Amino acid sequence: MVVGDLSQEVEVVVIGGGPGGYVAAIRAAQLGKEVVLIDKGELGGVCLNRGCIPSKAIIHAAKTASHARSAQNIGIKVGSVEVDMAAVQEWKNGVVSKLTGGVASLLRANGVQVVKGNAVLLDETRVAVETEKGMEYYKFEHCILATGSRAVQIPTFPFDGEYILSSTEALALTEVPENLLVIGGGYIGLELGTAYAKLGAKVTIVEAGPQLVPGVDPTLVQIVKKNLKKHNIEVLTQSGAKGYEIQDGKVHVTVEDKGEERVIVADKVLVTVGRRPNTEELGLEQVGLTVDARGFIETDQQGRTKNHRIFAIGDITHGPLLAHKASKEAVIAAEAIAGEPSEMDVVAIPAVIFTDPEIATVGLSEKEAKERGIEVVTGKFPFAANGRALTTNEGDGFCSVVADKETGVVLGVHIVGPEASSLIGEATLAIEMGATIEDVHLTVHPHPTLTESFMEAAADALGVAVHIAKRK
Amino acid sequence: MTVAFKLPDVGEGIHEAEIVRWLVNVGDTVREFDPIVEVQTDKALVELPAPASGQILEIKAQAGDLAHVGDVIVVIGEGAAATATAGGTDSADRLEPSPAQNSYSVGPNSQAEDQAHTLNTATATTATMVAGRVLATPATRKLARELGVDLKLVPATGKGGRVTKEDVQRFHAGGGSAAVAQAAPAPAPQEAAPVEAVTPATPQAPAKPLAPAAPVTVTAAATDERVPLRGLRRTIAQAMVRSAFTAPHVTAFDDVDMTAMIKYRQEANLLLADRGVKLTYLPFILKALVSALKAHPFLNAHMDDERGEIVLKKEYNLGIAVDTPDGLMVPVLKHVEKKSILDIAQEINVLIEKTKNRTLEVSDMKGGTFTVTNMGPIGGLFATPILNYPEVGIIGIHKIEEKPVVRGGEIVIRSMMNLSLSFDHRVIDGAESVRFTNHVKKLLENPNLLFLEMS
Repeated sequence: MVVGDLSQEVEVVVIGGGPGGYVAAIRAAQLGKEVVLIDKGELGGVCLNRGCIPSKAIIHAAKTASHARSAQNIGIKVGSVEVDMAAVQEWKNGVVSKLTGGVASLLRANGVQVVKGNAVLLDETRVAVETEKGMEYYKFEHCILATGSRAVQIPTFPFDGEYILSSTEALALTEVPENLLVIGGGYIGLELGTAYAKLGAKVTIVEAGPQLVPGVDPTLVQIVKKNLKKHNIEVLTQSGAKGYEIQDGKVHVTVEDKGEERVIVADKVLVTVGRRPNTEELGLEQVGLTVDARGFIETDQQGRTKNHRIFAIGDITHGPLLAHKASKEAVIAAEAIAGEPSEMDVVAIPAVIFTDPEIATVGLSEKEAKERGIEVVTGKFPFAANGRALTTNEGDGFCSVVADKETGVVLGVHIVGPEASSLIGEATLAIEMGATIEDVHLTVHPHPTLTESFMEAAADALGVAVHIAKRK
Repeated sequence: MTVAFKLPDVGEGIHEAEIVRWLVNVGDTVREFDPIVEVQTDKALVELPAPASGQILEIKAQAGDLAHVGDVIVVIGEGAAATATAGGTDSADRLEPSPAQNSYSVGPNSQAEDQAHTLNTATATTATMVAGRVLATPATRKLARELGVDLKLVPATGKGGRVTKEDVQRFHAGGGSAAVAQAAPAPAPQEAAPVEAVTPATPQAPAKPLAPAAPVTVTAAATDERVPLRGLRRTIAQAMVRSAFTAPHVTAFDDVDMTAMIKYRQEANLLLADRGVKLTYLPFILKALVSALKAHPFLNAHMDDERGEIVLKKEYNLGIAVDTPDGLMVPVLKHVEKKSILDIAQEINVLIEKTKNRTLEVSDMKGGTFTVTNMGPIGGLFATPILNYPEVGIIGIHKIEEKPVVRGGEIVIRSMMNLSLSFDHRVIDGAESVRFTNHVKKLLENPNLLFLEMS
């Protein structure tokens, strides 16, 4: 440190203000710690500004447009449906700023000092922050790293903000592109591809692997795939985008489709081939930390790194890149710093995908359970037999449950269908509580609601389902 | 219908028993009267039969647990196991109410009763593990972390083997968190607490003899094998500690010239040959003891410490220590004073047979007034037997061996047998003990006299 530099002494420094960082800061402050939160962008991180929240807003707008177009099917006559994308963005931005503003006031209410700037660790007690006003230094007892992740760029399609877009730019489009090519059929590509198709784009999805949304049970994806066709989305699996040229303001993308080359002309190309952790420019080497080949930091069950003063949470650590996982780890790390014996002991972390219909999963699939040598019973209930789903014209999909054969303890629940993302909450609670399919079956679920699907799937696993014929 | 089987009173006045071994598993189908569990009381190992036919739905007390009379130890569901899942549709939640007066009863396992469960917490019985996890809610898991309790060690009382918050608290209150240390003892904490310095303090705590005030640290080696103190072994340990630290023991030794008795027995066996009966020395020794006990009534007594009274017994019920693979058991031969040598011989055989087959009933183990421990068949010279408290006398009888002894100024070879008599010095003084062994000795050395004494 240069003589004369003043560093402010605090107990906890949190780097990153996303759903990991801001939760960690608030929890640490609640536990009596003096906390500084450093973020280089907007509070709320990717989740609030460029991810979960804006994408759900766009998806909702797209769904509304789609419903308006199909309203005549249920006897509602709507004139021609027009999408004013600029107005959609304005509304979306309003939602986002409401939430980020909420985060800021929560941090303030908890006495967390927020510093805007780029943070670099100097050693295991100090961090330097490059702010608009110059360098600031903070001396800490503990530091929580929560710097999140960013979209992976592929060398042949470098993001340019105009033609080749990451999800960030795709969420900020003020016009619906006529033709949109999506590279990568993972959940982000599928969510945004579907949304833009509903908003009026002709969408093509290019996926290198044999299946869309790799890692998710194909029987769930199958239902989504059927609907993609309905929205005129072309899906090319086992295909690769080789390169592109810009001609007359359009992107001419060379695609190898199952061995055959063809050129697809698009207005925009959205690249969603994964995300990588932001661990490069943090100064990790100055505190003796290394990252693995994919950029992740090793931690223990409390989020503590090899350096006992430094914790890491969220997307920069192993496990699924999910906001709710980051928030959970945030609470644990803050409590660990305050000396509480918290640790990551959750049985299952749910995952939700806002496709049409939605996919939500928690716990083990039948296949995963069998791979672990667990004998299972399964039950399944189609939304086509659920009254509520039919009244909203959303009878596609099913709820399936996997349970331990001997004890009936629920091991996993997999839903594809309307509001799957909300339905999975109950299933997650059931798993954490160690509930059995009998418990679920015996719990009265309100009628007519989508929640009955979980009860009926459990009943099916027990062989006592009322609303579906007994499986042979 | 579901039957909640409560631990019955397996013998007079027994209020708790240790679950030694379940003979059935959850999910098994049993018929009424099938043996389902072995329990160890402070008196005996008892097999309990199923109170009804049905499927074992839940085992509520695990091996190693201490269950109290009235605790539900197993839940049995009626009829066939229709569904594949444990519990089926008949679950413990649907028990039908009825008075709980019988030795077992069909009744609700009410919450109050649940809380009254005092399962021994020091034992690590298995909670249900499903897909590699102990079944416990997030809040219970948090509590366990806060208390430093390893959930895997906590005896579960919740439905389907779930560990409840109360289980964790109970386990912790019972020193459960230390169980972690027990399972994996820290290496060599020896220097900090020298065993020698601690040991003399232990006998000062007769009230709770198994829990000495200062714990002695046991050093661990990688090759150590740790055997939990369970079942009969634990019962023996408790009984021995109570006796050794309650009654001041004195042991007197003597030897008996059995030469004449050997001849007497040989003749008797010759006479009995056509009946297929072969007598050992034990019936003769028991008869001699009864004669001596009658002459020295303070040796055929109980020490009632609670009331500060010596209870002189007018029956002569002799306990016979029997070695079994699981440990020492002491069946009691009743009214030796009223029985013939032949009856005694026959009854001893029955008792030993029952002991070895573990079919002794609690009544077979009760009512002793004096104990005989026969070490003859095994060997050894002398012993210092520990009293079968509250009895005040126990005699060890040893191997008959030919030895050189002096008779009339000459060294001759005689068949000699040693006796080791331990007695409670609060009740009996040394002189009395010697008079007692003299009496025994005189009868055994002169079988004809023994015959004349018989009633």
